[in-house]
Amino acid sequence: MKTGHVGRSVPRLDALDKVTGSALYGFDIELPGMFYGATLRSPCSHAKIIHVDISEAIKAPGVRAVITGKDFPFTFGGSIKDQPFLAIDKVRYIGEPVAAVAAETEAEAQDAVERIRVTYEDLPAVFDPREAAGEDAPLLHPDLGEYTRFGPYDVVPGTNICTIRRYKHGNVEKGFSDADEVFEDEFSAHSVSHSTIETHCAAARYEPVSGEFTIWSSNDRPHRAIRELANAVGIPINHIRLIVPYVGGSFGGKSTLVAEAIAIALARFTKGRPVKATFSREEELTATQSRVAAWMKIKTGVTKSGVLTARKAEVFWDNGAYASYAPGVALRGGLTVFGPYRIPNLELDSRLVYTNKMIAGAYRGYGTTQVTWACESQMDMIAHKLGLDPLEFRLGNGYVENDRYINGQVLRDVGLKETLEKASREIGWGSGRKRISASRFRGKGIATTIKGTVTPTESFCIIRLNNDASITLLMSSAEIGGGQKTVLAQIAADTIGVPIESISVQNPDTFVTPYDHAVASSRTTYHMGNAVRSASQQLREKILQVAATLLGLDCNRLSLAEGKVFEEGKGERMHLDALMSKRFGGKGGEILAEGYYTSAGSPLLAAYSGLEGMSSIFWMYGTHAAEVEVDVETGIVKVLKIAAAHDLGRAINPMTCEQQIEGAVVMGLSNTLFEEFILAGGRVLNDTLSDYKLATARDVPDIVPIIVETRHTEGPFGAKGLGEPAAAATAPAIANAIYEAVGVRIKDLPITPEKLLAALKRKKVAN
Amino acid sequence: MTIAIDIKVNGEQYRVELEPQTTLLELLRDSLRLTGTKEGCGLGECGACVVLVQGRPVNSCLMLAADANGCDVVTIEGLTMNGALHPLQQSFVDEGAIQCGFCTPAMVLSAKALLDRNPEPVEEEIKEALSGVLCRCGSYNKIIRAVQSAAERTRQSV
Repeated sequence: MKTGHVGRSVPRLDALDKVTGSALYGFDIELPGMFYGATLRSPCSHAKIIHVDISEAIKAPGVRAVITGKDFPFTFGGSIKDQPFLAIDKVRYIGEPVAAVAAETEAEAQDAVERIRVTYEDLPAVFDPREAAGEDAPLLHPDLGEYTRFGPYDVVPGTNICTIRRYKHGNVEKGFSDADEVFEDEFSAHSVSHSTIETHCAAARYEPVSGEFTIWSSNDRPHRAIRELANAVGIPINHIRLIVPYVGGSFGGKSTLVAEAIAIALARFTKGRPVKATFSREEELTATQSRVAAWMKIKTGVTKSGVLTARKAEVFWDNGAYASYAPGVALRGGLTVFGPYRIPNLELDSRLVYTNKMIAGAYRGYGTTQVTWACESQMDMIAHKLGLDPLEFRLGNGYVENDRYINGQVLRDVGLKETLEKASREIGWGSGRKRISASRFRGKGIATTIKGTVTPTESFCIIRLNNDASITLLMSSAEIGGGQKTVLAQIAADTIGVPIESISVQNPDTFVTPYDHAVASSRTTYHMGNAVRSASQQLREKILQVAATLLGLDCNRLSLAEGKVFEEGKGERMHLDALMSKRFGGKGGEILAEGYYTSAGSPLLAAYSGLEGMSSIFWMYGTHAAEVEVDVETGIVKVLKIAAAHDLGRAINPMTCEQQIEGAVVMGLSNTLFEEFILAGGRVLNDTLSDYKLATARDVPDIVPIIVETRHTEGPFGAKGLGEPAAAATAPAIANAIYEAVGVRIKDLPITPEKLLAALKRKKVAN
Repeated sequence: MTIAIDIKVNGEQYRVELEPQTTLLELLRDSLRLTGTKEGCGLGECGACVVLVQGRPVNSCLMLAADANGCDVVTIEGLTMNGALHPLQQSFVDEGAIQCGFCTPAMVLSAKALLDRNPEPVEEEIKEALSGVLCRCGSYNKIIRAVQSAAERTRQSV
């Protein structure tokens, strides 16, 4: 079969819409008769709501509806059903929605919000998950044990512990006694904002007669969002239509009901007229979701020659006030603390704890960025202490083909070693520290990472061959920026045997496009790609059967390429459009095929008995090598270059792979050096992009993306995934390079000039 | 109270009645329905709303529409000539400079303002010219390459 599109940097299918300004985002949705929503948010970290007075607000000009939690008394949650649409009786963080207004204009809605009066009675609040896990801590959710859970999340009722995960393998105490050296260190990875440039926004319409909701929103998992809503309000899924236009970035932030919750609740009270809620940048930074901050204690045993013998890790994750998708972070993310290394004796205690802060949830990497920070920083510390080359130390312990993952899953298609070798070669590994001037020093560092994908999950799609031989792909993987449409069209084009120009990939609409788990966990190319491949194979067979009938030939003699039917030995016999008009005459018709993929039941998931749930259908490996320049007078770190090598199975589109790698490096660098919430108790003080700094064009180093292809046996054309692991290795690579440059170790993110100067001063005093 | 202004947008002359506090961004998006210009903060910090006023890049969320009275404004919709992409637009497509695309219009226009006054910018000048627009997808290096390649393409065609 001719594979003309897969493996080529085909220009993105969405590029033309986006470069001309014609792409419609959730932000651009305007509907006839639309009201605008605004939200009154809690000024208290933890308080009882004694009274809400809406009498002045409801009289304000242009106002149609003013509602509180009592009017729409439902709770929702992707993992645990713990979150009200609007606070009910109690607020649990500063920024929590308490009341909402629908009005003719945005200004009128905001004006009415200011007229709502709320009386609160403060409750004791807790902000540090390590304190919040204690028995005497103020309880956020006294009813925790009674909440519905949508996964194996072990809550501890009567405490703030939302999920507890313990895992043991081998005997760590024996492992530590077998070691020549035991290292014990503490690290922390901070909370950061997704800060998509398109803020959260959603429009919703409620049809009072049929009881149906229609929602337009920037959301990366429409089918799971409507399930959350269906579970919350008790209506069937076929009464909820979620339409996803282009999404202006997600990174995990647009994964649940955020602006949707406000628009939906208001729409219930506007008699069929739609309501749109668009979050301000201030709301975005203070009242949406963030990365789950983590505090990690790691104890690692190692022999003099550099063989890892044991690791024990204790992780506290800061959940914020509601669970969102953080329980999965604590479950799956926690396990990544062991890194891509053979360690015979392991023990993990991972706890996700509620605090009176903004909700934490899914964030590019899903826990991997946090634990990779700890793991890879400590790996470097061990190598330096033992006098080993950090690269050789990693190569010596790193997974190779047919090694077993910590649950016994046999690892295949392991490109770890190649990523280590290629990234380090590109950075010029081994040339060491350089002094550039009296105050400026250069150093190099590497860090590596492993990431699985949520397993098992499902993807479905439908492919329509239209009457004119054009093709429509219906599926629910939203185009959040990753090039989802293009990659899936490439897979379809080559599998069916048609030009990519004939394929149109539709945006999700849950009334039309079938179920997909999510654009998350770097899963789309593999899972939806496999579903598309399966549907495409069926469509190809159906087409060839029609051709065989029309031509009076044996189907086996026919093939399809570039939209034409060929007969073996004879050449081209028929164009697809001719085939369609002959098949259906002048009246019209179409050929349909459906695709389905699940990773459940794959023999690749086999593991030690009872531990199959920890297996991943594929594993991604990546290594980042960084060169930095540190100014010891200012504490300023300039990242000069990052070489980023990623084993992604197979690059369906090398250009979109480079985009993911470069983009994740920039995000990782920005998270590491610039971004930090300044908190006073539970209040975010830096609620603008002037005070919460993101990397700009001037902050970006030379980035060299390196694609490593190991060809996964079950992946479409051998593809695995990519988007998340590239975010994880950047922070420790930078920290390790700083250590080489100036000999100080920063263990708490972010790496700021202040922290570096203080560390340099301590080092000077110590010397 | 409303005021009337005369404004040229993408080559077309408009007379618009508006509230004095209306921003240029509101005029473009809400009155003229040119939604290619985006808004990410409303405070002049993210640059998603950049348009060209008299050829210069401006955060349209910070400029009163009234202050654009008599001005020539170009938005992303005005760059395509007779259905053909502007060389910068073509370079953004070819170089893979677009991910989620929400900052793309502002990036393209910021780059256009640069190339119009400095057809042969060095890399630092490109970075400087683009530094007012945030791209959370982190496409910066590919965007810089796209600007270099458009400059190259324009030079060759002259």
